[in-house]
Amino acid sequence: MIEGYNKLRPSQELILGYQNGKMGISAVPGSGKTWTLSYLAGKLIQSGVINPDQEILIVTLVNAAVDNFSARISSQLQVENLLPGYGYRVRTLHGLANDIVHERPDLAGLTNQFQIIDDVESKRIKQDAAQDWLAAHQDFFEPYLMVEDHQKKNVFENKNNLPLMIESMATAFIRLAKDRRLMPDSIRSIQSKLQIPLPLVEMGTEIYQSYQEALNYRGGVDFDDLIRLALKCLRSDPSLVNLLRERWPYILEDEAQDSSHLQQEILSLLAGENGNWVRVGDPNQAIYESFTTASPRYLLDFLKQPEVEGRTLPESGRSTLSIIDLANELINWTQNHHPKSFARSALTPPLIQPTPPNDPQPNPADCPSCIRFVERAMTPEQEVHFVLNEVENFLLEHPDKTLAILSPRNSRGFKFVDGLKRRKIPYVDSLLQSTNATRLSTGAIANILNYLTDPKSSRKLSAAYRVWRRSEREDQEKWAFHKTISDLIRKCERVEDYLWPTIQRDWLESLETDHFEPVVFEELVAFREVVQSWHNTIFLPIDQLLLTISQNLFLDPAELALAHKLSSMMRQYSNAHPDWRLPEFTEELKNIAKNQRKYLGFSQDDTAFDPDRYPGQVIVATMHKAKGLEWDAVFLTSLNNYNFPSGHEYDQYQPEKWYIKDHLNMEAECISQLSTLIEDHPIDWYQPGKASIEGRQEFIRERLRLFYVGITRARNWLTATWNTGRGLNKNVPALPFLELLNYLENKA
Amino acid sequence: MRCESYAIIPEKAPLIAQHIEYNTIMCLTPEQQSLLENPHTSKIFLHGLAGTGKTTAGVKWLKKLLKSGIPAHQIMVFVPQRALSLPYQAFMRDDLFQVHSLINTMTLGSLARRTIDLFWPMISPDTGVSLPNQPPHFLTLETAQYYMAHIVRPLMDEEGFFDNLTINRNRIYSQILDNLNKSALVGFSHQEIGDRLKTAWIGDIAQINVYDDVQACANRFRVFCLEHNLLDFSLQVEIFLRLLWPSPLCRDHLTRSYRHLIVDNVEEDTPVTHDILSEWLPEFDSALIIFDNEAGYRYFLGADVQSAFSLSGQCDTVVEFTMNLVNAPGIIQIKSGVRHAIAQLEGKPQENKPDLHLLQSSLVIPQETNKYFPDMIRWVANQINILVKDGVSPGEIVVLAPFMPDVLRFGIANQLDEFGIPHFSHRPSRALRDEPATKAMLTLASTAFSAWKMLPKRINIAFALMQVIDGLDLVRAQLLTAYVYNENTEGFPLQPFDAAPIDIRDRITYRVGARYDLLQNWLKTSHISESNTLDFFLSRMFGEVLSQPGFGFHNDLNSANTIANLIESIQKFRWAVGDQIPNETFSIGKEYIQMVQDGVIAAQYVRTSEELSNDAVFLSPAYTFLISNHPVDVQFWLDVGSPSWYQRLEQPLTHPYVLSRHWKYGDVWDAEKELYAAQETLRRLSIGLLNRCRNKVYLGMSELDVRGYDNRGLLVRIFQHILQRAQQQVQND
Repeated sequence: MIEGYNKLRPSQELILGYQNGKMGISAVPGSGKTWTLSYLAGKLIQSGVINPDQEILIVTLVNAAVDNFSARISSQLQVENLLPGYGYRVRTLHGLANDIVHERPDLAGLTNQFQIIDDVESKRIKQDAAQDWLAAHQDFFEPYLMVEDHQKKNVFENKNNLPLMIESMATAFIRLAKDRRLMPDSIRSIQSKLQIPLPLVEMGTEIYQSYQEALNYRGGVDFDDLIRLALKCLRSDPSLVNLLRERWPYILEDEAQDSSHLQQEILSLLAGENGNWVRVGDPNQAIYESFTTASPRYLLDFLKQPEVEGRTLPESGRSTLSIIDLANELINWTQNHHPKSFARSALTPPLIQPTPPNDPQPNPADCPSCIRFVERAMTPEQEVHFVLNEVENFLLEHPDKTLAILSPRNSRGFKFVDGLKRRKIPYVDSLLQSTNATRLSTGAIANILNYLTDPKSSRKLSAAYRVWRRSEREDQEKWAFHKTISDLIRKCERVEDYLWPTIQRDWLESLETDHFEPVVFEELVAFREVVQSWHNTIFLPIDQLLLTISQNLFLDPAELALAHKLSSMMRQYSNAHPDWRLPEFTEELKNIAKNQRKYLGFSQDDTAFDPDRYPGQVIVATMHKAKGLEWDAVFLTSLNNYNFPSGHEYDQYQPEKWYIKDHLNMEAECISQLSTLIEDHPIDWYQPGKASIEGRQEFIRERLRLFYVGITRARNWLTATWNTGRGLNKNVPALPFLELLNYLENKA
Repeated sequence: MRCESYAIIPEKAPLIAQHIEYNTIMCLTPEQQSLLENPHTSKIFLHGLAGTGKTTAGVKWLKKLLKSGIPAHQIMVFVPQRALSLPYQAFMRDDLFQVHSLINTMTLGSLARRTIDLFWPMISPDTGVSLPNQPPHFLTLETAQYYMAHIVRPLMDEEGFFDNLTINRNRIYSQILDNLNKSALVGFSHQEIGDRLKTAWIGDIAQINVYDDVQACANRFRVFCLEHNLLDFSLQVEIFLRLLWPSPLCRDHLTRSYRHLIVDNVEEDTPVTHDILSEWLPEFDSALIIFDNEAGYRYFLGADVQSAFSLSGQCDTVVEFTMNLVNAPGIIQIKSGVRHAIAQLEGKPQENKPDLHLLQSSLVIPQETNKYFPDMIRWVANQINILVKDGVSPGEIVVLAPFMPDVLRFGIANQLDEFGIPHFSHRPSRALRDEPATKAMLTLASTAFSAWKMLPKRINIAFALMQVIDGLDLVRAQLLTAYVYNENTEGFPLQPFDAAPIDIRDRITYRVGARYDLLQNWLKTSHISESNTLDFFLSRMFGEVLSQPGFGFHNDLNSANTIANLIESIQKFRWAVGDQIPNETFSIGKEYIQMVQDGVIAAQYVRTSEELSNDAVFLSPAYTFLISNHPVDVQFWLDVGSPSWYQRLEQPLTHPYVLSRHWKYGDVWDAEKELYAAQETLRRLSIGLLNRCRNKVYLGMSELDVRGYDNRGLLVRIFQHILQRAQQQVQND
């Protein structure tokens, strides 16, 4: 008997009774869908329905969930005395696509050792392509602009304005084109048959073309290509589909509300008409940070199919009854009272139910007073100040509890981080950026390379020394000693006399021996030997140079694995940019270290972030990144009409730029032009501005779900605040914020 | 010396294998003895698994021929690649037999080239070349690649060739060349390449036109070669087959020159080679053809096991060696497990009763799962350290991976260095653009030939000077270049040492400054005339300056070797390209450097086999090790979760199966065939490796590969299957 099996809720029992066919499960936040799904996988393996050469395929959304699933199934199998690690395969969609393409790379037009261009490089290529395009088409945006002449320089040259907007438009355009499996040539070919010009499609296609050429030059594919090509392989070769169906007779899909058109197609091909496919998701948690082709409607449509057994997981033991009540009220209000009818479909039942008595996951004791919606108006700075005061007080009272400050945007999150830094409150910002561990390790290597690009600098050599001894930073006594050494090195005027002394000139000999203990000399000699070895490997290809350095710096397996991954990535960059030398590689590593490039490392926080590892510390995250996580106390911030508009006249919309006429959302317009071209629907032909309005509506819906996700992250304490913003038009509280505030007051 | 035994006793097996050195007294198995008892005029087809002593018997057969008074020059040792003739050459180098002439070791390529060279005046009018009165230029792999790039690049840039592919351009060039070679080696017209590939294609119809592109490029390349008297490998083979082999004059010359034939590893050779041997066999006075059962590793280069085995029909005697001289019983268990597991996957279950205890005596897997790639490297290094401490000779350990990428090789090498364990790697050298000595030489040349306008970045000059000037460290090199190098000049960019301020000169030291001045002066004055070719320039720079005392390459044999390779590569490039692309502004040296930077010319060479005798741990790609035919006590198989162990190489523009003789025209290549091919590859590869392992195989694996992707390919599943079966057997018993 699997542990906990005898304590199943009726809803779970129904699901675990699954044997074959198609099943769709609507789950509420905190209902344990990962647990249920991994349990189901273990149960199927245990029941012997799969052969030794077969696997249960589990598809989930993010890497962090892969480890989580694997660990759960593996421990479940160990309990059953089965061999862990076999009989199942947990994959993100990208991982699955990678597996499929590797079966037949030729069908995808690839070599068997094709490269995957990571997001960092992909973004760089798009940036370059967008900039080149803008340089060659300075007049293109004139008809769209609404700026005075003196503002134009800012609009065109400030990389956060037009260049960034074009890059976002191109990113969305390329993603949609790839989702519809259209290459630049095919878009051009369709376009050539049309009478009416679609200028944004022309722009998108040109950038897409340059982008794709750059990928080809590197012999690599990006993540969107990987998925597109996986489907291409499956569609091309029926025997490949049969083979994979044979290998993966059961498919369990988590976070199905985030399924995209291609994911749906791939999985339905793999499952087959009468196959075994279980999809679990919560349509209310379909939230997206940037343009995506994912949509909850795929799951909702699936649930409506007659052959699909519909199930729910409505009970959740995560939060107090009051918090559950609040989240349910948001669903009720949205469905029945939202002033805009188009918004009412944003949130749907099932409502969250508390767990039944004697459930292994009981709800925390209720605490209505632990919920605070702060009505008073605050500037952004005042909001930071207020929240941090509250946080400080909370941690004094509850040092063993977990706590998160959640904001709708990354940039806002960093404001809280700055404040926490100033107040010396312990915090974790790994969810905002590359994890701290990844940045620190990358920064360590970058510091050494930075020194090697300028080896005569005593300042950089001194920094390299501190990096070399970084593992002893926590030991105050040792660190004081290392600081002495580091100061000494910084004062060395002629670095060569220290590192490569001659008979006439040796910096160490020139140091007054009376002033220093022998241990100082020993330390300086030891460091000199290390630096000399770095100097001697300077000619090596960049990957080998990084590995050599990392061996002097790292002991931790995750850090060493990161060094290998970085080496491999730098090798790729070196192949793609034969003219790159040490300074360029150093710059790239610095960008990762400084968080200008998000990079997935191997630390625990990279592979499976667990808030419970950080009691007494403040975790700062966006509401989007908080999905799937939970804390004892949650501060939801910036709940104003800028971040959560409701369709009022006075609302502003982030995707609409101040310098663009008629409140056009250019990303939406661009996508709309491409969709028009693809659909070729004469009645529904492209109308300027229509997509921007639809974009607003979708934004309003997505923000309602985001609010819901934010609320359902809290176990016991929930505080919500808003701010007036910095613009001339002051923001007001978000409408759902006010509605819930009313609800709480009426209830009280 | 008393001959103890050749039976399979694990402890003794390594000893026996150590005795299989070709010039020492050793025991022969009854099978070997029996073979050698055949009269020296016999024609024998010898086959058997690796490790049964076939090559040893081949060498003994050679000895027997020589002892019977046959002149060495009448004996031809025919192999698919030159390295496989090393045991015969090693034997001949031994002075014991006082052989004063050399045997001829031949490959199909060398046979074609030699005869074309010899008979060119006779055949040139029929070859189709535009200048039959001029001698031909034989292209090397890299010069062929250069010309292919020259032809294909504009087609890609201007006409959208290969638009549907995402593939590095250099791979496109090499795969088209590979197709041409396959057509020649399998024996079909190069004009059929595209059609054959197209009819087998099952994929997206839009992608099928890449095979038209392949065909068009192959055609254009062939026309270009003929126009310029360039003979790439495929053309050499075709001319030999079409004009020389059928020619009575040539045939008479060959049959008179070579009377006795020894063919080793015939299964690794190509169908046209087998055709030739088949026709030639009756002419020889004697022949020994050696065939390795369950091999055929070079299938991706056109090797054909079936046509090889058909030669047995033309021999008087067919002999099979069955006595395994290498494997311990545990290894035999693993082999049997692999065969069984693959047969199971193929739906052809076999009877198999695995013995877990025996299996575990030879198969070592990590006690705990290694999550990360470096964990695996650490585990491997630790295990090697334990083995060496336990008395296993490092030379008896080999570390194998499907490929040996630098990150992996370097990672293991570093860890072995930490333990003080000697190691060496048998892999192609680094590409020229990654080789420090090469980079330094070409950087300095770029400053000397400043008219090329390819002045290097300052940091490259600092690195180059640091390498070539003795006593110049990185700090001083940077100081020096900051003052003496001007990368924005039209003229010669290096100033004399006294261009640096006195305090800087003082820091750099005058001793180093004097060396720099010598080099600077040489670079400034010792070149530049049109006749001063890059290879000649480098050769002089190395000889006159950099190899002298006070300079970095003095007494540095490794760098000297690398530079010799570089110079040879440039020479070949010059010979092949010299007059073919006439253009006033064209400079061969500049072109060469650009091609190196683009990676078109890599000049990767495999180091000589002398290093094989080092008592050091051998780090090698699996196929390189297989072909080296060198059994060892312990093998480490790395990254066993990787699909590279069985994936078809050189996709998507070429195809070893579709372009083989056995492909049925009209069939399509689908996933089922792909899987079958993968399983077949794995079976062949793993059995081949196991045949070359005496005692133990260690499986190195990590959950995540170097990029962080899950690592669970077919090979790891096969071992999983083997272990599960053995455990089940224990339970059943």
